[in-house]
Amino acid sequence: MNFLKIFVRNLVNGPSTVSFPFGPAWTPARMRGRIEFKLPSCTGCRACEQVCAPGAIRFDKTPEGLRFMMWHNTCVFCGLCEFYCPTDAIHQSDDWHMAHAVDQKFSMAIRELIPYTNCSACGMKTLASAPNPVGINPPYTPEEIEQHRQLCPACRKKALAERGNPS
Amino acid sequence: MSENFTIPVGPLHVALEEPMYFRIEVHGETVSKVTINAGHVHRGVEYLITKRNVFQNIVLTERICSLCSNSHPQAFAMAIEQIAGLKIPPRAEYLRTIADEIKRIASHLFNVGILAHLVGFESLFMHVMEVRERMQDVKECTFGNRMDIGANTIGGVRYDIDDERISFIRQQLSSIEKEIDELITIYSTDNSILRRTKGVGVLSQQDALDCGVVGPVARAAGIHYDVRIKAPYAAYDRLDVAVHTFQDGDVWSRAMVRLYEARTAIDIIRQSLDSLPAGPTVATDERPPIPAGEAIAKCEAPRGELIYYVRMADSPKPERVKWRVPSFLNWDALGIMLDRAKISDIAIIVNSIDPCISCTER
Ligand code: SF4
Ligand code: SF4
Repeated sequence: MNFLKIFVRNLVNGPSTVSFPFGPAWTPARMRGRIEFKLPSCTGCRACEQVCAPGAIRFDKTPEGLRFMMWHNTCVFCGLCEFYCPTDAIHQSDDWHMAHAVDQKFSMAIRELIPYTNCSACGMKTLASAPNPVGINPPYTPEEIEQHRQLCPACRKKALAERGNPS
Repeated sequence: MSENFTIPVGPLHVALEEPMYFRIEVHGETVSKVTINAGHVHRGVEYLITKRNVFQNIVLTERICSLCSNSHPQAFAMAIEQIAGLKIPPRAEYLRTIADEIKRIASHLFNVGILAHLVGFESLFMHVMEVRERMQDVKECTFGNRMDIGANTIGGVRYDIDDERISFIRQQLSSIEKEIDELITIYSTDNSILRRTKGVGVLSQQDALDCGVVGPVARAAGIHYDVRIKAPYAAYDRLDVAVHTFQDGDVWSRAMVRLYEARTAIDIIRQSLDSLPAGPTVATDERPPIPAGEAIAKCEAPRGELIYYVRMADSPKPERVKWRVPSFLNWDALGIMLDRAKISDIAIIVNSIDPCISCTER
C-alpha cells in the first residue's frame, strides 16, 4: 500500500534518467576526467610520475630533453598527479568523452618535451623547465619564471639568493 | 516425494555478479548441506601493493572494493600515518568522516535495493536505486567520481568543501532523509518484503559470536559492535553515533540495520558539517617521508570492521600489507544461515551479508 503512493508519485514525476547519447548529459564541475598537461608550467620534478599508480605517466631522457608521456587509456582518474603537482601543470578536466575507435588508441596520449637549453648565465646545458614554486615567497612573477627557465639549477639558486627569498 | 540432489550455485551470479561457488545438497526443497568454494578470482593485490610506493597504494587500495572504496584507503592511510607519526589536521578528520558516511549511505541503499530485486519487487528496486542516485550525485559533485571518490591521502584528505557545496550536500541530505524514512516504513510493513525476509537465514547471537561476524550482520544478531564507537577514528569520538541492533538475526533485521544506519549517517554528516573546523586539510603539502615500522589500523567499512596491517622497511614500498576484510568473516556464517533454508531463499540470504568477493579474494 505504502509503495503504491511512491509508485504513483514516480509516475507523475516522470523519468529521472537522461537520454544520453541523444541528449546532453549533465557533468559536475568537479568531475575528474581527461588529463590535461600544460608544458610551460611543468618543473620536471616527476612527482606525478612517482605517484601514478598504474604508470600512465612516464618521463624519458632523450637527446633533445625530458620527454613527458601520458597514456589516457592507462589512467584511472585518481587525481593524485594533480594533487602532488607543485604548479598545476597537470590537471584533470571535466571531459569524460573518451570513447574512441581501436585504431586511435595510440593517439590517446599526451607527448610533450621539456627541451634542453644553455644556461643564460653560465652556458651549461640545462632543462628549460619552470622553476619550482614551493616555498617561494613572494611567488614568482611570469617574467621571473621565464628568466629562471633559462637558468641551470646552480644559477637558479644564485638568482634566488639575490632575490632575497625569506625562506 | 523428497529426494536428495546436489546443485551447484555459482561461481557466477549468486546475488551479485561476483564469482563464488556453492555446492548445495538439497533434500526436496530444503538445503541440507552447503560447501563454499572460494578462489575463483585472484587479483594479486597483496603482491602489487609491495611493488608500489605508499602514495600509489592509496589508489590501489581504493580499487580493492568499489562499495567500500573509501574505507580501504582510509585504513591504509591511518596505518601509514601511525608509522610516520603524522597527525592529520582536525578539518581533515571531519572531512574523512563525511566521505565515509556518504559512502555508507550509498553502499547500504545498494544492498537493500538488491534485496528488493531478489524478492522480485522490481519497482521498489528501481526506487531505492533512484534514492541512492541522489548520493551518487553528491559524490560526483563533491569528489568528482561516483565510486572511487579519492578522498584520502597520506596525512589528510584531497578534497575540501566550501559553503556552496555544504549547502548542496545539506539539501541533498534533507531530500534523501524523507525518502529513507519512507523506505524504512516500506521495508518494515510491506508484505512482499516481510514474507521473503522475516525468519529467513537466521543467525543466532551465539552463532554470530562463534563465527566472529562483523558489521550489519553482527548488529542484526544483537551484537553491539561498531568500530566507530569501540575504537573511534577520524572525528567519530566527537560525534554522536547511534548504533542500531536487532535481535532476530534474520535477513530482514540485516536490511533494517542497513536502512537505519543510512538514516544515522545523514545525522552524522549533518553533525560534521555543523562543527566542521577551519584549517588545512593535509598535515603536509609535500610527500612525507615514511620511516620503517609497522602498524595496524581499523575502520568501520559499510560491510563491517576492516583491519589493515602494514609493515614498512627502508623503502617507499611496503614490505607487507595484510588485510582482514569484513566479508571474510561473514562468509563463514553463510553455512549456518543457509542450513535448512529453501532453495529459493539462497540468493536472498547470500545477498543479506552484502558479500564482497573482490575484497575477500584480493
Ligand atoms: S589521474 Fe592518477 S592514474 Fe591518471 S595520470 Fe594522474 S596519477 Fe596517473
Ligand atoms: S611539475 Fe607537475 S607535471 Fe611537471 S613533473 Fe612535476 S608533478 Fe609532473
